[in-house]
Amino acid sequence: MVESIKTELGAALQGVEIAEANYLERGYHLSLEVASGELLNAARFFDERGFYLAAIVCVDYREYLELVYLFANHASLCKVKVTLKVDPAKPVAPTISAIFDCAYWHEREIREFYGVLFDGHPNMTYLFLHDGIDFYPLRKEQIPVTDDDKRALGSFRPGEGEDTFFVNLGPQHPSTHGVLRVVLKMDGEYIEEAQPVLGYLHRMHEKMAENRSYLQFLPNTGRMDYLGPMAFNLGYVTAVERLCGIPVPDRANCVRVIATELNRISSHLLWLGAYLADLGALTPFLFVFDDREQINDILEGITGSRLTYCYFRFGGLYNDVEEAFIAGTKAFIERMRSRFSLYEKLVGGNVIFINRTRGIGVITKERARKQAVSGPVLRGAGIPMDMRKTEPCAAYGEMDFDVPVGTRGDALDIYHVRIREMENALKIIEQALARLPEGPVMAEKAPKKLKPPKGDLYHTVETPRGELGIYIVSDESDKPYRMKWRVPSFSNLMIFPELAKGNLLADAVAILGSLDLVIPEIDR
Amino acid sequence: MTVSPSAFITGAVSLITGLGVTIKAFFQPVVTSQYPRQLLNISPRFRGHTKLLADKDNLGKNGCIACGICVRNCPSGSIKSAEGEKREGEKRKTATTYILDYTTCSQCGICVESCPSDCLAFSADFNAAGFKREDFYYDLVKEFEKRKNAS
Amino acid sequence: MEQIVNMIGRETLKTIVGLIGVLVFVVFNALILTWAERKVAGHMQRRIGPKEVGPYGLIQPIADAIKLLGKEILTPREVDRPLYYLAPILIFVPVLVSFIVIPFDASLQVKDINVGILVILAFSSLSVFSILMAGWGSNNKYALIGAIRSVAQNIAYEIPLLLALLPVIMMANSFSLKTIVEAQKGLWFVVYQPLAFCIYFISAVAETNRTPFDLPEAESELVAGYHTEYSGMRFALFFLAEYTNIFIVSAIAVTFFLGGYQGPFLPGIIWFLLKSYLLVFVIIWLRWTYPRVRFDQLLNVSWKALIPLAFINLLITGGLLKL
Repeated sequence: MVESIKTELGAALQGVEIAEANYLERGYHLSLEVASGELLNAARFFDERGFYLAAIVCVDYREYLELVYLFANHASLCKVKVTLKVDPAKPVAPTISAIFDCAYWHEREIREFYGVLFDGHPNMTYLFLHDGIDFYPLRKEQIPVTDDDKRALGSFRPGEGEDTFFVNLGPQHPSTHGVLRVVLKMDGEYIEEAQPVLGYLHRMHEKMAENRSYLQFLPNTGRMDYLGPMAFNLGYVTAVERLCGIPVPDRANCVRVIATELNRISSHLLWLGAYLADLGALTPFLFVFDDREQINDILEGITGSRLTYCYFRFGGLYNDVEEAFIAGTKAFIERMRSRFSLYEKLVGGNVIFINRTRGIGVITKERARKQAVSGPVLRGAGIPMDMRKTEPCAAYGEMDFDVPVGTRGDALDIYHVRIREMENALKIIEQALARLPEGPVMAEKAPKKLKPPKGDLYHTVETPRGELGIYIVSDESDKPYRMKWRVPSFSNLMIFPELAKGNLLADAVAILGSLDLVIPEIDR
Repeated sequence: MTVSPSAFITGAVSLITGLGVTIKAFFQPVVTSQYPRQLLNISPRFRGHTKLLADKDNLGKNGCIACGICVRNCPSGSIKSAEGEKREGEKRKTATTYILDYTTCSQCGICVESCPSDCLAFSADFNAAGFKREDFYYDLVKEFEKRKNAS
Repeated sequence: MEQIVNMIGRETLKTIVGLIGVLVFVVFNALILTWAERKVAGHMQRRIGPKEVGPYGLIQPIADAIKLLGKEILTPREVDRPLYYLAPILIFVPVLVSFIVIPFDASLQVKDINVGILVILAFSSLSVFSILMAGWGSNNKYALIGAIRSVAQNIAYEIPLLLALLPVIMMANSFSLKTIVEAQKGLWFVVYQPLAFCIYFISAVAETNRTPFDLPEAESELVAGYHTEYSGMRFALFFLAEYTNIFIVSAIAVTFFLGGYQGPFLPGIIWFLLKSYLLVFVIIWLRWTYPRVRFDQLLNVSWKALIPLAFINLLITGGLLKL
């Protein structure tokens, strides 16, 4: 795949130098730099070959701004990095939002964080920030936001029509589970247009990363996705380990898998409860908390905390697991297996639930690709893409599990995918427990002070919500030069406006719930 | 909306099964524990605020040597100061004040891990409450003395 | 004493005493039901529910009521004041009137009107009116959507409700509730009319805006629906009306289908309350089991299933009675 893409790419883009990268070190296979005029051609090339746009990253190198377009493929492992240099004094780049819909959001983000103007973008207004911000926060030098820019950025104003009105779904709304705000243009109970407004929980983790050492940033990772902090921890530590070449002992890898999968189950369980609460049934919420408590107890026993775990370390674990953990996990597997039938009776088989979710929020494969959705939402649409299979980190490579997929791509399919994922997570935990070797849980040669070699890395892991991509640029110092978090909920939210359009308000709630959004993760 | 008779029956059955689940739960014992009348066991690794441990050689004094590594390593800058004095006949300093701003602490444990004299640990103190920020500026040396005197 | 009674008139006095009794009962019923709802919900979710205030938390509703009374009565700036103020009071009128004609026991009835059921049905449609007033007067979009949903829902479900009661009226040959109860001396009407009972019960749950038909106040969609902007005692009035309504629809079901106050050994009032609260328990049970239906599904169920079924049932009953 990589070879053929390279030759085809060479033919399509004359005069562009295509470099092969060491995938194990860099996380991508090919990299090429294009000029502003060729970007659209390159984007079209990848679109035609079924690639999706994982993320757009902007890096400020002071002499120039670099836009990094990361393309990946659902069918086979082939990642391409396309870069475009932009003049920092007058940053303008062409938009590719007409080709890849998800670029619409990434470009808006870069616009307000870096001041890069995307030529031809339909809506260059604030996404996270507001007009009280006087400079572009992620630039290395303090570049002021001019009054003209502020006016342009703040120009999003909903205009009411003759027969329509606006409803703010959030930021304080029972079904947005946090502080997500969606401006809905409604015609009666039907939604004509949905426009997410983000940033109510924006903490600028990416800037924080630039001001902290690699180790100091570790606690931040669990605070982005507070429901799946293990997977975020895992993504971050494996990314840094990959960057620095730190080996990890087998035992630590196995424990990492167990802890992450337990956390995945707890995250999916909470989703199940919250989703049913969205649909008006409150009892499942309490039932899942009963199960979730068991997981919390187990994880508290090894990590010391119940929510924002910070357990993995570069090169291993914070501390070793004990016999009680193994026994507790085994007991939990036993218990959880018997609970699925209960959920099937109470929720999955319920005719009201089925009628509320079947045919609602249908995502086709093509739209899933264009909007770069990931995780259970993508698998619900029928694409068997799972980072645990395609790019296994820790001990995932040695585990045998299925990747459940849906057929219709609606909310009901996503529900079934998540339930079956929990079953598979139990399977993984069982295998990991069986092969848990004795030995140390910390690499002997783990350096105290991390100074990764110069270069960049795009590292992905599968979190409970989907593809987490971490793009790190290292300049050999002890702090990251740039760290971009491509978070799954952000990408999954992007598809919401088109799913909500033309649907009832009640359906919008059902769709929003099925995407399983975690707002602190979207806002970062 | 045309519903076939079989779909109607499965639907009705599913509704009744649902009722069965909840009524069964109704008669089952409760699973919650009645805090604060009933306390749960706290995991030995529970992370409360940090506390100072005694010096390994001299259990009468705290083991902090006021080196300042934890102050520098804390991601949130929660450890305000760790100052000490060199007492007569001792090779290293002993902490006299160790101020932890618990309001910004995220219990990540980086200080615990980086401590060269292994004198930091998490306490099991979980129900801290106060009316103002200053209530959570803990002087861990004082807290250590208090614990020592109590035991 | 005798003189006072004569002066006012026996009937009037009976009505006044009855009304006071009804008011006391309404408050008492709401207190019991809030407690019961929380307790049932708790145990269905494997937790205890209220337990701190009083034995088994029995005093909890009173504590809540005092809290609500103590709250400042807020009026949002942009509301339509007359409507906003009137709605919570008006929602109470139909509730009170319904109680007048319900026979709690053979002799325990404020007034036996020969068109009793018509009075209840006529007045209960009035509650929609006050919900609409609350929704419109609040000047809040969620409240308005909730109110509009409520109107559509109530219109849709009032028809099957009525059509389900008609066969019983035909069989008892009377609109008077007391006569209907007396007609069930031998066998309860639920035996003759199981379908009508089911239709009535589904419609009744919808009429009281309870899950799975709680769309007017669907909290995950409309925050709190038509009473989003109400707080303190005004909110409490809506709450009170809702719980009283639950009791009323159960009481009517008992009167029409389950033999009313009739039963062996125990006094009639006990039987009546027992049966009524059993139905109330079922309504609570439904709420803590099911998700909410969607708006179009709700209307479809009524117009395309319940109403035709009720008509067929009515036709068959009429035919059989004629034979």
